[in-house]
Amino acid sequence: MSALASSDLVEVSFDQSIYSLDDIKRAAYRLSDRASFNFQLLADKIICQLSPVSVEDDRVAHDFRNEVLDQNLRSKISQETEAIRNLILAHTFSNTGLISE
Amino acid sequence: MSKFSTLEVYETPLGAGYTLLPFNFISLDDQRYVLTNMVGEYHVVSRDELEKLSSHQLSYKSVLYNDLKAKHFLYDEDSSVAIDLLTLKARTKIRGLSDFTALHMFVISLRCEHSCPYCQVSRANDNQTKFDMSYETAMKSLDLVFKSPSPVIKIEFQGGEPLLNFPLIREVVIAAKERNEVEGKHLQFVIATNLAVITDEILDFCKEHEILISTSLDGPAALHNKNRPRPDNDSYERACAGIQKVRNRLGSDRVSALMTTTKASLEQPIEIVNEYIERGFQGIFLRPLSPYGFAMKTKFFRAYDLKDWLDFYFKGLEYIIKLNKEGFFFVEHYASLILTKMLTPYATGYVDLMSPAGIGIGAVVYNYDGDIYASDEGRMLAEMKDKKFCIGNVHKNTYEEIFTSDALLDPLEQSLTKSVPMCSECAFEPYCGSDPVYHYATQKDFIGHKPTSEFCKRNTAIFKRLITLMEDDADTKQIFLSWIRT
Repeated sequence: MSALASSDLVEVSFDQSIYSLDDIKRAAYRLSDRASFNFQLLADKIICQLSPVSVEDDRVAHDFRNEVLDQNLRSKISQETEAIRNLILAHTFSNTGLISE
Repeated sequence: MSKFSTLEVYETPLGAGYTLLPFNFISLDDQRYVLTNMVGEYHVVSRDELEKLSSHQLSYKSVLYNDLKAKHFLYDEDSSVAIDLLTLKARTKIRGLSDFTALHMFVISLRCEHSCPYCQVSRANDNQTKFDMSYETAMKSLDLVFKSPSPVIKIEFQGGEPLLNFPLIREVVIAAKERNEVEGKHLQFVIATNLAVITDEILDFCKEHEILISTSLDGPAALHNKNRPRPDNDSYERACAGIQKVRNRLGSDRVSALMTTTKASLEQPIEIVNEYIERGFQGIFLRPLSPYGFAMKTKFFRAYDLKDWLDFYFKGLEYIIKLNKEGFFFVEHYASLILTKMLTPYATGYVDLMSPAGIGIGAVVYNYDGDIYASDEGRMLAEMKDKKFCIGNVHKNTYEEIFTSDALLDPLEQSLTKSVPMCSECAFEPYCGSDPVYHYATQKDFIGHKPTSEFCKRNTAIFKRLITLMEDDADTKQIFLSWIRT
């Protein structure tokens, strides 16, 4: 990741081989009360341009990078536990007659 | 020579490692994270521990490993019941959903002799009987009540001031009990009243039919009367006299009270709690102001911001915890609801913290004019000329038409927290709710933009504070355990 700052726009880039666009967008959504976001895909990078709502909010890029890390970890856990999550849900509803055979 | 083998012989190293069970996480503070599993069991860890857990590097010999195994964040070859137990808890959490609507609110009259600026109900002057529910409307509403599959039915009479139309309350109670001789439900009645016009005759009827009373008490006299003006400026005195009358006639546990927080309340959390203690209550529900009804018209809703209210709430909570530590049992009811969700597999049925939302499923409102609303808040919105949550009319629609209407199903389906942005990956999702009425009222959208949602911010702050309090102080955790509802 890298960050470039201009007067009212902050640019953060992510390596596409490490971070998915979905993770980055989810992170952006969480911070959408503090900044607006624009995304560009380049060859091996995802470029995010943040426009903070308040010029005094100098932590938004920092928080955004950390949130992307968190979203990335959430995705990893979600993928790893998908099968067992579906098993538990199926078992939970198994007596309701709501699941078709 | 010892006949017994060493302890190590009995420890079976787990060669296959461990398998993660589904969980989520959120930062608690700068140092710690909260992990939650599918049924809301939680554990607090450091970032390093979270990384180790998710990359399968946690040692099976560690205390943390065993704690997480006990709480169903992981399982290993040592145990074959983890998935069954987790499933059982998941079933328990959702078991009540299929019971469907238990709370049925009858708006018996819009008339009221108070003029509360924060009133969420747009009230009519107390001589305008055209704002009373008719006998026909009440009986049609009762037909629908008994269509609900719920084994428990609670009929709550609301207003305005419902006692201004007491004759109809009498008719509904008697008719409901007659019908219930066939239906066999567990039937309860509540009257939500300011107690200003209660009489001995009404109390006798309540005693005979085991009717509960719910009233309003905003705090000490000056605060209560400022919030709740009426002729003679004696709302507090009448409420207190009414509470005592109810206790004397029906029993001390037959009356409950709710307060509403206004700007004037924010400096007095301790005084308000003390007032409730003085009046003999064993708990208080520290509520925010909802964005409906007269509260919007009189701009009461924006009179304070979220930070002000959270300061008020946490001061009140801190004081209540202190009282409990001094040996005086007293509950903050909102915390109690949340703690029940955090510490047990049981659902609470509290409409505002449900997903699918509690509208229609948990509660329904039959208005004085026959219109039916998916929630009390939906009815209040209608008083602001927005009938988005009107799901039918008792005189025009069947039960099936009402409860399969798009007006009900659309907000339910769209707002489900497991499938909306931010909520779906939030660690606090098991404790929270969707509240499509709130989000529609404030953002014109059933789902709401959660980063700017005061509902989301308020609840996230409370969840984090409760967990922090339990983590940092064992005595507080014991107190919180005593608040759990079962």
